Amino acid sequence: MQQRTFLQSFVSKPEFGPLVLLVLELMVFWSFNSDFLSLPNISNTLSFTVELGLIALAMTLLMTAGEFDLSVGSVFGFSAVLMWTLFNSEMMPLGVAFLVAIAASLLIGFVNGWFVTKLNIPSFLVTLGMLLVVRGTALYVTDGFPQRTWNAQGNLFANVLAGSYFIGSFRMYMSVIWFALAAVAAHYVLTKTKAGNWIQASGGNPNAARARGVNVSRTKICLFMASSAMASLAGIISSIRTSAANPNSGTGYELEVIAMVVIGGTVLTGGRGTIIGTVLGIFILRVMRNGIVMIGVPGLAYNIFIGAIILGMMALHSWLERRHNSGV
Amino acid sequence: MAEDLIRMEKINKFYGRIHALRDVNLTVRTHEVVGLLGDNGAGKSTLIKVLSGAVPLTSGNILIKGRKVELKSTADAIANGIETIFQDSALVPQLSIARNLFLGREPIKGGSFLNRLDQDAMNASARELLKRVGITKDIPPETPIAALSGGERQAVAIARAMQFDSELIILDEPTNNLGVAETQGVLRFVREARDTGHSCIFIAHNIHHVFQVVDRIIVMRGGRVVADDIDPKHTTIEQVERIITGEELLHAITA
Repeated sequence: MQQRTFLQSFVSKPEFGPLVLLVLELMVFWSFNSDFLSLPNISNTLSFTVELGLIALAMTLLMTAGEFDLSVGSVFGFSAVLMWTLFNSEMMPLGVAFLVAIAASLLIGFVNGWFVTKLNIPSFLVTLGMLLVVRGTALYVTDGFPQRTWNAQGNLFANVLAGSYFIGSFRMYMSVIWFALAAVAAHYVLTKTKAGNWIQASGGNPNAARARGVNVSRTKICLFMASSAMASLAGIISSIRTSAANPNSGTGYELEVIAMVVIGGTVLTGGRGTIIGTVLGIFILRVMRNGIVMIGVPGLAYNIFIGAIILGMMALHSWLERRHNSGV
Repeated sequence: MAEDLIRMEKINKFYGRIHALRDVNLTVRTHEVVGLLGDNGAGKSTLIKVLSGAVPLTSGNILIKGRKVELKSTADAIANGIETIFQDSALVPQLSIARNLFLGREPIKGGSFLNRLDQDAMNASARELLKRVGITKDIPPETPIAALSGGERQAVAIARAMQFDSELIILDEPTNNLGVAETQGVLRFVREARDTGHSCIFIAHNIHHVFQVVDRIIVMRGGRVVADDIDPKHTTIEQVERIITGEELLHAITA
């Protein structure tokens, strides 16, 4: 095997394709509308990018372990509704209501993981069922109406979680910081730790992993819980930012999140995942959503672009995968 | 005198009403390579699955160095020094050679809270080990298993068994789908494993491969061990084939 140049190994990385696409996208939007890279637009784009991004980070780890979670969009909506319902009915302070919502999401994740690992039901079916149960619960307890959120004004807890501060004329959202921390942590776990090795092994060859003493079931259950908790956190942050806790919010997010992850280069069948790729995938889709509106394409056309990006990136990844497997 | 490493006594295994193993007795001594032969359905696979902890036995005892053990899982068997290398299923293709070698026993550096892999130590031992099993090509330990040839994968699996001082290495059809040079490589690793103090059970359809490497041949038929002390140096392949198919026995009965 000959020594490869730095450039060759850089190009053959799964993150290379998404990186090129993101740069292209930014250049195209910027050339059409110079406001695209204005500080308020960057700040605005970042704020809604990171909310879905939090879910995508956890989903990357879960998908690397060979499973995925369709219930994240429902948990996104349900958690915010649960927290605000508890808070508005003056049963508990906001911080405690937050913890209750996170605990509920952990339980949802645990049930998902338990069904998948102990009953051997594919995660597609288990989390599809959970999607309906959780969404149905959110709609039922609220009668379909949004919950009041405006009395969170000035609440310290809400500010730490989802507030915003001006750095010069740039509005910095706290959620961006949480996202950055979560991304670094997820990257560290996946690439540098024993847990990360187990996650990849669980997705790559669960039987071999089990034979080596890797607890595949526990690894997967933990990841289902993480995915659910991140969806819950994202939903709560979003509800504070938009001052709305709607039982219908988050509908369809599961597919957008999975799209972000696979565009970034994580394999749907498990075994290989990349947080750097996912971060790129998150920005590719969210910048697209913001950009096509900025340059005057009707927002309804958004899905056409997303679909085309997914198909294009999958073709690229499958080509890279073949090269990778042949040891190039 | 070599002592008994593994003793299986009166092993019976039922799958529902199918009697797959019938009072099987089998001994593997230390520093010994045993060939396990038999036609399809003879019970070889079931016996190996029992010994590797993959399926529970119905009745009987397994003793390791005279100590009775219960093998409830493959992890149990590995903890007891029995490593089974199934064709193409023991490794995680996406992970690197080094990470596969240490899967489940990863060295950690820094605080245990950080859970951080000691990648340098893993790579260094992997390099050493690959040299030991005779991979002289310069394959970096970071190479994913998916990029290796079939023979190289077998070598990595065997290297792993040797690394963790498994006393018994079971090789299930290790030479299937391998080229001539790769097969010779695998056979060399088996000899290397024996010379470094490991015992092996070698299962292969190709009797020629078995004859090249084993000290003793055991033949199974119909869920029983029908011969357990065949010396390949004093037996021909044709004779062993007749024992496998049962012609030899038939001849003995009718004579």
